[in-house]
Amino acid sequence: MDDKQTVLDILQDLTGEDFSDNLDEDLFASALLDSMGTVQLLLDLQDKLGVQAPVSEFDRNEWNTPAKIIAKVEAAK
Amino acid sequence: MSKNLIQAIDDYAETAGDKVAYSYDGKQHTYAELKTYSDALAEHIDAMGLPLNEPIIVFGGKSFTMIVAFLAAVKSGHAYIPVDVNSPAERLEMINQIAQPVAVIAAEPMPTKLDGVPEIDEEQLEHVCLEKVDYHLTHPISGNQTYYIIFTSGTTGVPKGVEISYSNLKSFVDWIVGDEFELPRKLDMLQQPAYSFDLSVMSLYPTLYLGGTLHVLSKKTTDNFIVLFTALRSMPINTWVSTPSFMDICLLESSFDQEHYPQLRHFLFCGEELTHKTAAALKQRFPDAHIFNTYGPTESTVAITEIEITDDVLEEYDRLPIGFVKPDMNARVVDENGDFITDGTRGELVIYGTNVSKGYINNPEKNAQAFFKIGTQQAYRTGDIVTMAPNGLLRYFGRKDFQIKLNGFRIELEDVSAMVNREEHVKQAVVVPKYNSQHTVSMLIAYVVPEIGNFKNNLQLTAAIKKNLAKDMMNYMIPQKIVYQKSLPLSSNGKVDIKAVIAAVNTQ
Repeated sequence: MDDKQTVLDILQDLTGEDFSDNLDEDLFASALLDSMGTVQLLLDLQDKLGVQAPVSEFDRNEWNTPAKIIAKVEAAK
Repeated sequence: MSKNLIQAIDDYAETAGDKVAYSYDGKQHTYAELKTYSDALAEHIDAMGLPLNEPIIVFGGKSFTMIVAFLAAVKSGHAYIPVDVNSPAERLEMINQIAQPVAVIAAEPMPTKLDGVPEIDEEQLEHVCLEKVDYHLTHPISGNQTYYIIFTSGTTGVPKGVEISYSNLKSFVDWIVGDEFELPRKLDMLQQPAYSFDLSVMSLYPTLYLGGTLHVLSKKTTDNFIVLFTALRSMPINTWVSTPSFMDICLLESSFDQEHYPQLRHFLFCGEELTHKTAAALKQRFPDAHIFNTYGPTESTVAITEIEITDDVLEEYDRLPIGFVKPDMNARVVDENGDFITDGTRGELVIYGTNVSKGYINNPEKNAQAFFKIGTQQAYRTGDIVTMAPNGLLRYFGRKDFQIKLNGFRIELEDVSAMVNREEHVKQAVVVPKYNSQHTVSMLIAYVVPEIGNFKNNLQLTAAIKKNLAKDMMNYMIPQKIVYQKSLPLSSNGKVDIKAVIAAVNTQ
């Protein structure tokens, strides 16, 4: 499975939504992710993709859409 | 006989007036200020001529004014009801209706005015606190009088207000500052949760009683990881109190360890189950620290059991014990008939002794269900399923009802379901917890049969429902995930079969 699909799966598991056609949806503005959801997202990215998100430098505005998260994951690999 | 709590805090104004009591958002406030401000506000409340021993709502966030208002209320003979600034108007009105407060102290602007209840607003507070008065403690809250009232989730969308007396609180504080925990005498304490959540009491009163310093994190800070870690690194904390969930956030940061926080040696957890995973990870980061798991319902004043999580405990148990009851408290395990279980098998935990609340304010029906007497002592049915070893060690295995803990917040599933059912786009709904491998709830999922509407897709529908829910519900109660269904499984009595849905969600 590619990284994009894994991210979409993680997001679906966390929010119940399939974002395949909504890659630019703002996850925080639409209240789909809260702060504990964000923690879970970071843990899942670590566990499933080996992507270590720098928590102390975590800027929500850089991680607020599925597309941005996918780009972050791809850049980290 | 140990010292009176309110008097002890006041005395530091004389003996250590310049000592910082409260450090928040870059501002420091001393014990002298705490006494001067709370005396002035107490005198102002006295002058209002309110009936004594009737409660006052204190509305706000984490500012210094909040603890000034708490102390002023109890000095002037009133219990206080802390209501968090993030509470929706609906909840505030419900609390007002149930508790019938005689005044409101608003450290932040209120989302709604409470009809007929005198309000001391932010601006007035500022003026009042600067008045110089010579206040004498003649009628502070004492003994069995109610000191604070904390509202928790009810079962039908109506919250319950737990009344905690001065004696309840004093017994708790004496225990926390006593031999079991061996906290540093010069306390630099983390203050993380909102004041409407009784875990905050575990930081607040032991610290003030010992003349220590509270290092306070705002919600805004904890919600933003960059700001959070900058703030944490700048705090000289030696003692940590938080939910395990909050620790999980901190453990995400690899520099959160003994090397970077050398003075941090005591960790106390409460509010939800401390998982083996979290405790083991923390012990690895802070090998020399003392880590305590504690347990207790709000109805028994924050916490009543403790155990230090040592390497031996981590080795012996996959699921960590909740510990031993404090002195002055007793625990019994009972079966379905209410008979005591003595053979170490599972049953409901019943607790009795000095920490147990007198009950929920103005709620005789719920009081009769939950509270009773064992001999002359006040007793409470916790609803928690436990075992007790011959040496008194308690282990927790779940709930007998549909109450859950999510990130430390106590939630009745029926309560949340009732509120989601009232939402206009929802025809029928049930809300269930999703558990992770560590037996803790990772999220709430709403299974919803929607009304027919004009939404482009489910994403828009979900956003609309969540927006409406936020008007009536505390943020932590809103389900993270909404799953749409054509129908929900029903039990034989025609109601939604919540147990079947819980089972289905957690076997996937």
